[in-house]
Amino acid sequence: MSAPPYSYSYIFKYIIIGDMGVGKSCLLHQFTEKKFMSDCPHTIGVEFGTRIIDVCGQKIKLQIWDTAGQERFRAVTRSYYRGAAGALMVYDTTRRTTYNHLSSWLTDTRNLTNPSTVIFLIGNKSDLKDQRDVAYEEAKQFADENGLMFVEASAKTGDNVEEAFVETAKKIFQCIQDGRLDLNATESGVQHKPSQPGRQTLTDQSPKPSCSC
Amino acid sequence: MEDDILNEIVSSEDLKKFERLYLNESTTDNLQRGTQFNYAWCLVRSRYSADIRKGITLLEDLFKTEDSTNEHAKRDYLYYLALGNARIKEYTKALQYTRAFLSIEPGNQQLANLETLIKKKMEAEGLKGIALAGGVALAVGGIVGLGFALAKGKK
Ligand SMILES: Nc1nc2c(ncn2[C@@H]2O[C@H](COP(=O)(O)OP(=O)(O)OP(=O)(O)O)[C@@H](O)[C@H]2O)c(=O)[nH]1
Ligand SMILES: [Mg+2]
Repeated sequence: MSAPPYSYSYIFKYIIIGDMGVGKSCLLHQFTEKKFMSDCPHTIGVEFGTRIIDVCGQKIKLQIWDTAGQERFRAVTRSYYRGAAGALMVYDTTRRTTYNHLSSWLTDTRNLTNPSTVIFLIGNKSDLKDQRDVAYEEAKQFADENGLMFVEASAKTGDNVEEAFVETAKKIFQCIQDGRLDLNATESGVQHKPSQPGRQTLTDQSPKPSCSC
Repeated sequence: MEDDILNEIVSSEDLKKFERLYLNESTTDNLQRGTQFNYAWCLVRSRYSADIRKGITLLEDLFKTEDSTNEHAKRDYLYYLALGNARIKEYTKALQYTRAFLSIEPGNQQLANLETLIKKKMEAEGLKGIALAGGVALAVGGIVGLGFALAKGKK
């Protein structure tokens, strides 16, 4: 059987994790549908979403697993961490407890993913300025100390949502180009799709065009 | 492999892990509902339909024996009953479960997404014309009056 033509050349697997109610599903929905859900029920188990984005001239399909934050789902949602190329770790800027739990989320992520997994920290609900409970500088410092990328975002206004998902993909793509991420490793969270006829694959490109991201 | 919620496969490692927990508790007569749910959740994501059917049986059992005030637990079971049935191509049953859920919680995006996915799959398999026999009140897998059972738990 010949391979079907793909409209993208890579698949990246993402997970979204963090306490319940921090806005994980709303971030996903804003990213895939460009809409805000003002009254979103708790996720049951896991939700799934996809979107194809363009990174450095490559079409990349993001397969995103949005995990439920409620305690009773934790044991099984952990099984979705394996093989994630990107992890979006979310807290709620208006609820300090969700921030305090980050180190335990981070430990879990580090234990269950690869060393090459890109972890992006998102402080969500940045639109609720009056209710801020975690200073930007404090979270930024936490991110720097732990080598995480970081933005404050709002699933409501869409502010920085696109950036978080796309920057994560750029970082993963850089890791592929640098050879830090082994495409052949089963749990890299990245799949390379056979290129279409007449289309260059990454390895064909010599010299590599320097990516402006 | 193209993933989505209907063809994502549980790792055999995880399936074994949650099976072991379930069996341990069962044999010591100390079975927790959460353990049964976790095992069922893994079973319905198996590549083997026998596993999925086993998962469905465990979920039906949980649903029937759940405290009627525990609406959240019932939502969880209904969702995975719909998913499990869809994965073994029992589409009519699957859609009855999603309908039951949506009749109580019409705006639930996650359930609406699952329903859309099931319908797409049916269409792809040429089952477009299959009508839904009966409504929400129909007995599915021995669970009678799903909508009612759920509504009772609502304040
Ligand atoms: N003002 C504001 N509200 C938000 C934002 N993001 C999410 N919310 C609200 O916060 C609530 C929880 O959002 P969800 O996306 O369901 O949270 P979650 O992290 O997916 O929760 P679980 O599925 O239980 O883990 C919803 O009522 C949203 O409307 C935001 O950026 N700003
Ligand atoms: Mg959610």
